[in-house]
Amino acid sequence: MEIRVRQKEGMAILEVEGELDFSNVEQLQQEIQRRPEEVVEIDLQGLRFIDSSGAGMLLSQARDLYRQGRTLRIVRIPDHIREDLEVIGFFRVLEILKTNPNA
Amino acid sequence: MIEVVTGNEQILKAYGLEGSGCSLPAGQVGGDFFEFIACDQRTVFAVIGDVMGKGFRAARLMATIRHMLRECIRINPHPLEVVRRLNKVGGHELRKCGAFATLCLLCYDGITRRLSCVNAGHHPPLLLSDGKVKVARCRGVALGLLEDYLGSGVEEFFLAPGDAVVLYTDGLVEACGPSAQRYGLERLKEIVRLQDGTDADKMKQNILSDLETFTHGFPQKDDVTLVVMKVTGKGGKRDGD
Repeated sequence: MEIRVRQKEGMAILEVEGELDFSNVEQLQQEIQRRPEEVVEIDLQGLRFIDSSGAGMLLSQARDLYRQGRTLRIVRIPDHIREDLEVIGFFRVLEILKTNPNA
Repeated sequence: MIEVVTGNEQILKAYGLEGSGCSLPAGQVGGDFFEFIACDQRTVFAVIGDVMGKGFRAARLMATIRHMLRECIRINPHPLEVVRRLNKVGGHELRKCGAFATLCLLCYDGITRRLSCVNAGHHPPLLLSDGKVKVARCRGVALGLLEDYLGSGVEEFFLAPGDAVVLYTDGLVEACGPSAQRYGLERLKEIVRLQDGTDADKMKQNILSDLETFTHGFPQKDDVTLVVMKVTGKGGKRDGD
């Protein structure tokens, strides 16, 4: 997995390429936690595979950022990955966390 | 009731049902599981699930969730209540470890042949009836992601002799061959459709052998777990077969 970091108007954009799984999930988690910006955007356009550890980490980071009054935005999700995330209820959870990060 | 457990395989013959399942781990031990759980003389549960992660931690969490599931069934066997309670107690354990688990719970009544399904973030089951394959519509959020379980509720089917139900984990539909193309739901539906008239264990073997043909033995990233249940037509006997 490769992470490219860009900054844009108070926002950090993390472009993730390759495969995100239990073996490298901490790398992306640390990068998200390191960012001081109010909005952290995760661009998944180059992501080929995500396992449950990757999905779980993204949700727990979203929860942490919302609790701090910040935002984790996940964008440009490839269709096959969107379908996998849909099954576990990923987007429903993100939506709920936005209004209630302690849900 | 006849129940045969061999390694990663389990075969059930009771309640006017044949059930056959197996779990094939990829690399180190993963979090996939399945089980047939007898409830009373007319009701049996079938469950399939996947705990996030790999290795010892996932295996330990999986054992905890399975134990809690049996407890939840004992306390109140209504399928939706089982999942709600399991999300409360099991979800707490999962969250402590920063994990979650997907689960699909089926409850079959051998007298009425009613199948009730509740889903927590898992691929919904496939139903084979009269040579046609239908994907169940039950959906829900995986266990441990939210404090309270959120889902579409209980979906019910009344099965006829010869009807079959297929449960599987994501490792099956996401399995890749050398071309990096996925096995996919459409291919799974097609091979299930061709199994009309085949018994549960043979159906399971045929699906796994089609998967093997597709992957050409290419090593997989995730465990593959598959459970097939088939109505034998001998339902209505209170003591099963």
